[in-house]
Amino acid sequence: MRIDFMNYFRLFALSLITLLATQVGARAETPDADLDAANRAYQDGHYDESAKLFRQLIETHGYSAPLCFNLGNAEAKAGHLGQALLNYERARYLAPGDSGINHNLQVTRKQAGLDPNPYRWWQVVMRSINWTVWLAVIVTCLVLLLIAVIGTASAQALSGKTGASAASIRRFFKGLSFFCVPLFLFFGFVELSTVGFNDRIEGVVMGKPATLRLSPFDSAEKTGTLPEGELVTVEQRHDNYFWVDDASKQSGWVVDKELEPVVPGTFEPSDAK
Amino acid sequence: MRPLSRFLVAGLGLGLLLVLGVVSAQAAATLTQHIDPPEANVGDEVTVTFSVQNGSGANIRLPNVDGLQLAGTSTQTNFTIINGSMSSAVSQVFTIVPTRTGTFTIPAFDVPLQDGGVLHSQPMTLKVVAGGAPSSPNGSAPSGLGPVMMPPAMANPSNGNAADLSNPNITPPVESDGRPARVFMLITPKTTDAYVGETVPLRIEFFIRMDVIAQQDSLPTMKGSDFLMNDLSVRPGEDDLTLMNEPYHRETWITALSAPRNGDFPLQMVRDTYWTKGSNGVFTDPLGNFFGPRPQLAHGNIPSNQLTMHVHALPDEGRPADFTGAIGQFKASGNATPTAVNVGDPVYLDFSVSGEGNFDHVRSPALTPDPAWKSYVASSKVEYADESRTQGNKTFHQAIIPQKNGNLPLPNASFSYFDSTQKKYVTIPIPLPLVTVSGTSVPTAATAPAGADNSTPATASSTTDLNPNRLELGSLQADFVPAYRQPWFWLVQGGALLLLVIGALGVWISSRRGQDRTGTERALRQRTLRELEEAMSDAVNRQDAPAFFFAARQAVQLQWGARWNLPPEAVTLPLIAARDPQAAETLGPLFAQADEVIYSGLNAGNLNLAEWELHVREELLQLQAA
Repeated sequence: MRIDFMNYFRLFALSLITLLATQVGARAETPDADLDAANRAYQDGHYDESAKLFRQLIETHGYSAPLCFNLGNAEAKAGHLGQALLNYERARYLAPGDSGINHNLQVTRKQAGLDPNPYRWWQVVMRSINWTVWLAVIVTCLVLLLIAVIGTASAQALSGKTGASAASIRRFFKGLSFFCVPLFLFFGFVELSTVGFNDRIEGVVMGKPATLRLSPFDSAEKTGTLPEGELVTVEQRHDNYFWVDDASKQSGWVVDKELEPVVPGTFEPSDAK
Repeated sequence: MRPLSRFLVAGLGLGLLLVLGVVSAQAAATLTQHIDPPEANVGDEVTVTFSVQNGSGANIRLPNVDGLQLAGTSTQTNFTIINGSMSSAVSQVFTIVPTRTGTFTIPAFDVPLQDGGVLHSQPMTLKVVAGGAPSSPNGSAPSGLGPVMMPPAMANPSNGNAADLSNPNITPPVESDGRPARVFMLITPKTTDAYVGETVPLRIEFFIRMDVIAQQDSLPTMKGSDFLMNDLSVRPGEDDLTLMNEPYHRETWITALSAPRNGDFPLQMVRDTYWTKGSNGVFTDPLGNFFGPRPQLAHGNIPSNQLTMHVHALPDEGRPADFTGAIGQFKASGNATPTAVNVGDPVYLDFSVSGEGNFDHVRSPALTPDPAWKSYVASSKVEYADESRTQGNKTFHQAIIPQKNGNLPLPNASFSYFDSTQKKYVTIPIPLPLVTVSGTSVPTAATAPAGADNSTPATASSTTDLNPNRLELGSLQADFVPAYRQPWFWLVQGGALLLLVIGALGVWISSRRGQDRTGTERALRQRTLRELEEAMSDAVNRQDAPAFFFAARQAVQLQWGARWNLPPEAVTLPLIAARDPQAAETLGPLFAQADEVIYSGLNAGNLNLAEWELHVREELLQLQAA
């Protein structure tokens, strides 16, 4: 008896495709339904319930700028300004330059009694950079430079084909080079600076105002406080204390439980600078 | 051999043997050193001797030490032969004069020898006391007797508010041998009358007699639990001084303490200390030089003088409602910016409280509740002006938001504290400017509820201007890794950059090769041109018109082809006419005559070939120049 392996293979492939399709369909449907439920709770004024549903969505399916933004809205409406600011910061991190997120972030900062926009214009620009666009700009510069180099070298041949003089062809490509080289250097410099600026470990003050201390010990002298919702940069870690500073350069040691990281996981000891 | 010769030979041999024996018996070079006396008065002469045994050419230079003046140098050389072994010793003696008190260390240094070897000296210590004070007669370390406790009656500070914590009249306790204590501790609070929660500056001094080698692995600690003390995390101030004609090393901390409850409490501190009992064994131990000194350590808690702190409760009478526990003497001021805003925009209040006291209890100045304003939690920052952290300036930054328009007075601000000098509560009103508020009033303004610090943010009452929720899920991701942390982000850019570099490199290599090729082509063209010119001349001489025009046309095609980067045969009269009409006019007759002569096979006849040659050469020269 001859076994038809092709039939078995077709059957197996069909089953696999069906299974995958079911899984994808299930994954695609469930979050949308949950999102609807969370948004409905928000519209009905059940902000705590809505925040809970958004948090569950994130825990189950992962982060996205809209989810963090919606969670920020629910927390803000529920009066949890620290949590709201944390989630707006996360949304802004995932979708830099989104004016809607920035608007809600500023409104909530103002509501929390914080400076709505503590950053200078260049810091705002750096925080708003879209990396995909930036990548496209730099690669375009490099490609144009490559074309300019090849064009300059092939001016004689191009002259024979086009009828234009080789000198004028060379002038054109040299002009292109003179335009692209500084542009590339400028964008490269800004890119590296921006990476450095954005690659900081940031946290948001949670709950009550955080106490700044002179040393990383519970008995150390208090040197000030940071209000709830304030965004700080974590510079150093010592046991359960972080050395932080805010946009107004107020700095000190803060116990870790008073902060939540903007990027989840960055407060792990191995990641702290 | 003559007897004289035999005697000379025997003498030389004996001398040679002796020299060889002496040389072979010489030991390795060594360095010894000593200082005499190890303790001296200011102005006394002290000799420092370095002896190099079995080493020649030693050049010893004493390092400069601040406080020790070099008064003279002398050198002595000694040779000794014992049992056939000869040894030499060169001693260099330095006379130094101390110019001030203190413990000086002549650091270790290297002594280079003539044979290239190097000897290493050891550091030496000289203790210098004030002139006239008796120095230790033999300079040896005294035998250890352990620490002497501070008598309780010693150095009791006045109970008033001494402005200066320094203690100029220190009398150390005396040991059984009549000498002042080896190690003792002294505490001096600014006052022994304080209020609950008041921060009292405290000076802690730890004295170690110079001839005692002591070691402290811990900081002074408060005995008992009646007081709270600031951390002693800063390094102590260190200096040397003389007490009862004995030189001491002193460590000083300036800190502050406070009492959490009222009553009379003993105030005393202790410090865990190790010190050397004695060092006699070090020198009698035959292996001492091999294993190094082995001092015998003793251990004990050194207590300070004991005082009694009288801690009073704060009076209830006259206590302001906004009193937060600040005790001391303070000044408060405030400012608001901007003074013209829209409804809903924050006005920032900046308060400053400076002075002396317990800044831990200094809170942001209180604002009277005002429905026209919504206030938020203030952030604070304190900068201390002294070591005890009792003097400084605490600043507060607070946002308040107008709920209605008009020329609004800011809420009344005030700061209250208890003045420990005047023994009464003081409230400082802080004037704030008027704020012009424009825009539409908020219909339902919520007042900020009172909180633990000052105020807490009101719950979301004005979130109506938040952008609405998003209805799409967006791009879900398990983590927050940004694009610039993804390998592809840098690989794409790196790839483009690499492509550019490779392209530039390729162009450069190609251009180098092109240059070589162009050079070869040019040389070949020149040679061909010369051959064609020679052919033209021969043809003129022979009156061979076809040969002349053939060569002339080829020469012209060669030069135009080089100019346009085309092969010579591709250069035709129509092409020249298309690209350079003026040249076509000049060259047209030549090409026409050449065609006619070559195809018809006519000879010179009535043609003036010499004139044609001149014309063609001029044309070629012009092309060459171009």
